Amino acid sequence: MIRFENVKKKFGDTVVLNNISFNIEPGEFIVLIGPSGCGKTTTLKSINRLITPEEGKIFVNGQDISKANPVKLRRKIGYVIQQIGLFPNMTIEQNIGLVPKRLKYSKSEIKKITKDLMEMVDMSYDEYAHKYPTELSGGQQQRIGVLRALAASPPIVLMDEPFGALDPMTRATLQEEIVRLQKKLKKTIVFVTHDMNEALDLADKIIFMEHGEIVQMATPDEMLANPANDLIRDFMRKSSATSDPSNLTAADFMRTNAISVYKKRSIRECTDLMARQHIDSLLIKNDDDTYVGIITIKDVRKHGKSSGSIGEIIPNENITSDAGENAKDAFDKLYNSGDNYVVVLNNDKTIAGIISKTSMATAMADTLWGDMQ
Amino acid sequence: MDFSLVFEHLYLVLMTVLFSVIVGLPLGVLAYITPSVRKIVLWAVEILQTIPALALLGLIIIALGPGKTTVIVGLVLYSLLPIVHNTYIGLESVDSGIKEAGKGMGLTQFDRLISVEIPLALPMIFTGIRIATVTTIGVAVFATSVGGGGLGAVIYKGIRTQNMELILFGTVALMIMAILFDVLMIWINNRLTKRTSN
Ligand SMILES: Nc1ncnc2c1ncn2[C@@H]1O[C@H](COP(=O)(O)OP(=O)(O)OP(=O)(O)O)[C@@H](O)[C@H]1O
Ligand SMILES: [Mg+2]
Repeated sequence: MIRFENVKKKFGDTVVLNNISFNIEPGEFIVLIGPSGCGKTTTLKSINRLITPEEGKIFVNGQDISKANPVKLRRKIGYVIQQIGLFPNMTIEQNIGLVPKRLKYSKSEIKKITKDLMEMVDMSYDEYAHKYPTELSGGQQQRIGVLRALAASPPIVLMDEPFGALDPMTRATLQEEIVRLQKKLKKTIVFVTHDMNEALDLADKIIFMEHGEIVQMATPDEMLANPANDLIRDFMRKSSATSDPSNLTAADFMRTNAISVYKKRSIRECTDLMARQHIDSLLIKNDDDTYVGIITIKDVRKHGKSSGSIGEIIPNENITSDAGENAKDAFDKLYNSGDNYVVVLNNDKTIAGIISKTSMATAMADTLWGDMQ
Repeated sequence: MDFSLVFEHLYLVLMTVLFSVIVGLPLGVLAYITPSVRKIVLWAVEILQTIPALALLGLIIIALGPGKTTVIVGLVLYSLLPIVHNTYIGLESVDSGIKEAGKGMGLTQFDRLISVEIPLALPMIFTGIRIATVTTIGVAVFATSVGGGGLGAVIYKGIRTQNMELILFGTVALMIMAILFDVLMIWINNRLTKRTSN
C-alpha cells in the first residue's frame, strides 16, 4: 500500500531521513515513534507530498508519487494534525464535506456521509453539524478533524500526533474510537506519536525511528519482547512507569480546557461565556495569569449588577493542587471537600487545568478494569 | 452653504476606496503567495506613502492634467499602503495548522485562498480598508488644488476670504464624515470578526 525505497531527505546540510525503506500492507495500523526531531513528521509528510525527498522512491498503491498530481493524491489520503486545523469560518458539516464537495459528491450524499460519520463517534448531527468549530470542546474538535479526514473514504489516513494536545481522558476515548473506526472501515493508517503507551495500544506494527533512520519495525509484542536497542528499552520502561497508578500525578488526570478569565473582563461577558459553555463557574486569574479563585453564577446573582468587571466580585477559594502532586492526594482533597473540582496549578501559580469528579471516576474505573476498551 | 460639495467629496472618497481595493487586494495576495516579489510590492506601497500628497498630485497632474481622475489616481496610490499591508499580514497570520490542513487535504492554492485564507483574513483586510477610507477623507482636501473639487474648496475659500464660518463648516463636515465612516466600519468589522476569531 505504501512503500519507501531508500528515501533520503535533507534540510540544508542536515540529513533528516537517511535511506529509509519500509513497506506497509493494506489495512495495517502503523505507528511511527521516536525521540523529537528523529524525522517522524518528515516521513509522514513525504507520503502526501507536503515534503519532497531528494532521493529514493515512494509508492502509494503501486504508483510512484513523484509522478502523481499532488492535489489528486492528497484527496485520496486523509490527513489529521495535532493543531486540528478545522476551518473556523465553516460549520462542522462544511468542514467534513470539504473534500467530498471538491470531488463533486451531491449535497444529499455529503449530508449522509456527515451524519453517518458523526453517529460513529456519538455526536448528534442535529446538535452539532451546523455549529462552528470554536463552539466545540478540544476533544470534539479533534473528533471532527478525524471524521473530516475520513469523509471521502480515502484508503489511507495519515495522523501526526492527533491526540497530543488533548487531556489524558479525552485522549483515551479518542484512541478507542480510532481503533473502532479502523476495524470497521479497514483503513491503512500511519500514526505518529511519541507516547509509547499509545503506540503499544494502537499499532499493528511500530516503526521506531532515531536520527532519521529506522531502528526497528515490529509488532508491539515483538518490540516488547526484543527491543532492538537501549533507547527503545528506555521508551518502553518510561511508558510502563506512567501506567503504574501510584506514579500518576494530578496533571495526568486534569482537563486542560478549563475556562478561565482575567479579572478585568466585564461581568456581562463572563455570564455570556458561562451560558455559552454551559458551565456554572469560571476560574479567575490576574493579568500575569496567576490564579485568583473561582466565581460561580450564584455569586454573580448575589452581586446583583451586570456592569463592571468580574474582579469586583469577591472570588471563592476553591481547593487547589500542584500539577506534580500525586493523583491520589488530589483525589482525596476533592473527595473530602465540598467543591466540584480541584484547580490544578503550575509551579508559577498559573492555571494548569481542573480535575472534576467525572474525571476522577473514569480514572478509578480505568485502574480497576484496565483501559476501558 | 453648499452641500453638493459634501457629496462631491464623498464621491471622491468612495471612488478612491473602490479602486484602492481593486488594486490593493490583489497586490496584497500577490505579496503573500510569491515571496520573490513580496519585498518589492511592500516597499513600493510604502514609498508611495512617503511622498507628500500635494507633491504626488502635482506629479500626476503633469501626466493626466487637472480633474477628478488625477485626484482619484493620486488618492488611490496614497491609500494602497494600509490595504496591501493588511491583506498581506492578514493572510500571513492565518494559523499555520489551518493552512497545513487545507494543503494536506488537497485544496489547490486558489481554493485555499478563496475558501479559507481570505475569509479568515477578512477582519484584518477590512481594517486596512477602514484606515484607507478615514485617511482619504482628510487627504482629499487637497483635491481642490488640482481641480477635483470637494470640501477642500470650502476650506480654501474660507482661508482666502478669512471667513470663519466657511472654515468651520468644511472642517466639521469632514470630521463628521470621518467619524461616521469609522464607526460604521468598526461595526461591520465586529460582525465579521465574530465568527472567525478563536
Ligand atoms: N522545514 C524545515 N527546515 C529545516 N529543518 C527542518 C524542517 N522541518 C524539520 N526540520 C528538521 O528535521 C528534523 C526532523 O524533523 P521532524 O519534524 O520530521 O521530526 P519529528 O520526528 O516529527 O519530531 P517531533 O516529535 O518533535 O515532532 C528535525 O531536526 C527538524 O529540526
Ligand atoms: Mg513531528
